[in-house]
Amino acid sequence: MKTACIENKKMSAKEIIESYKGKPLRIMEVCGTHTHEIFRLGIRNILPDTIKLISGPGCPVCVTPVGFIDESLMLALEHRAVICTFGDLLRVPGSKMSLADSRQKGASIKMVYSPVDALSYAKEHPDKEIVFLSVGFETTTPASCLAVKKAKADGIKNFSLLVANKTMPEAYKILKNSADAFLYPGHVDAIAGTSVCESLVKEGVSGVVTGFTANELLTALAVAIKLSEKGKPFFKNCYPRVVKSEGNIPAQELVNETMESCDSEWRGLGKIKKSGLKLRADYKDFDARTRFNLPKIPGKSNPACRCGDILQGKCKPTECGLFGKICNPQHPVGACMVSNEGACSAYYQYGGNL
Amino acid sequence: MCVGLSAKVIGIDNGMAIIDASGAKREISAELIKDLEPGDYVMVHAGIAIAKITDNDEDETDEIMESL
Ligand code: SF4
Repeated sequence: MKTACIENKKMSAKEIIESYKGKPLRIMEVCGTHTHEIFRLGIRNILPDTIKLISGPGCPVCVTPVGFIDESLMLALEHRAVICTFGDLLRVPGSKMSLADSRQKGASIKMVYSPVDALSYAKEHPDKEIVFLSVGFETTTPASCLAVKKAKADGIKNFSLLVANKTMPEAYKILKNSADAFLYPGHVDAIAGTSVCESLVKEGVSGVVTGFTANELLTALAVAIKLSEKGKPFFKNCYPRVVKSEGNIPAQELVNETMESCDSEWRGLGKIKKSGLKLRADYKDFDARTRFNLPKIPGKSNPACRCGDILQGKCKPTECGLFGKICNPQHPVGACMVSNEGACSAYYQYGGNL
Repeated sequence: MCVGLSAKVIGIDNGMAIIDASGAKREISAELIKDLEPGDYVMVHAGIAIAKITDNDEDETDEIMESL
């Protein structure tokens, strides 16, 4: 009985989407994991022509600038630090090479699952300098903060972070004309809470917080359609089993204690005020830029790569002249082709004509 | 790197939790969730439990559709 009931409900969310004939709607899925799941589940195949899905800038790998990769390469090759990183960053092209390429030049690059694992590695190898590449949004940042706080408490001297963590609220404002509604990233709001997204309604920005299962994604799209039809800016939490309005308060306090807001460079979007984080002065001994006295490195990306336009919904990956020819997951030119969560990679993997 | 993992807590010790994610067991940090107990479900990111959750998305989406 329950199953039949769920089938009806699922159909009704699906039907709302399939039968939508109203004014054209541009819906941006901000999160890279949403991009990937929407492709994997075939949700794009059921969309009517009236609904356009845009893959936004919520993949941390895709928005990490070339200069950050160049900084990591300098740490690995010139300062002989052991670089610990999430695997996705390995093949992102820097100005001259990727971290994976640098291994052939003697760089020591280690993949870790968590920043805390990088700290454990530092404890086991006190004779080496260990740098963790700290990228990611609200969801991932607390893990870096936890590692750095433990490092300070334990008096660890050979561990630091190269920080490029980002925060979403200012990015939503920059992108507000790129979409009629956002599918907000559920796990960002699991940490940050829903107050920012709720307050964006006053600025005319609409959206729904979304989970990651087929049920959740279809429901969120159906809700976005229904609320758009009412013609007023809206917000709805469609992922309440994980996202609470106040978010994760201990995580917010931890981030606040160890990091502070700063302007930040986003690959393809340029500098966005107050959209990044840096370590607070109390933690400067754990800041790799200070510790190794790194110079400013601007970084040069391939001018033909259109990741920036894609992240703003100005073009599709297939409209980039390099897509599938010069740029593919084996030989990525831009970060959007590297990460599983990137729009170009998803288009390549699941068919380029969507 | 952003993929969240939902898992069941099977043990807690000194700020760490042993989780079972579809049969795979792993130790993660439980420091950012108050009052976590064995039997709870959590969402895990980068080795940290970020939220206590219910394991059922169906009831959730049923309710949301009904509220439309
Ligand atoms: S296809 Fe490659 S070069 Fe083109 S926008 Fe995507 S990542 Fe950049």
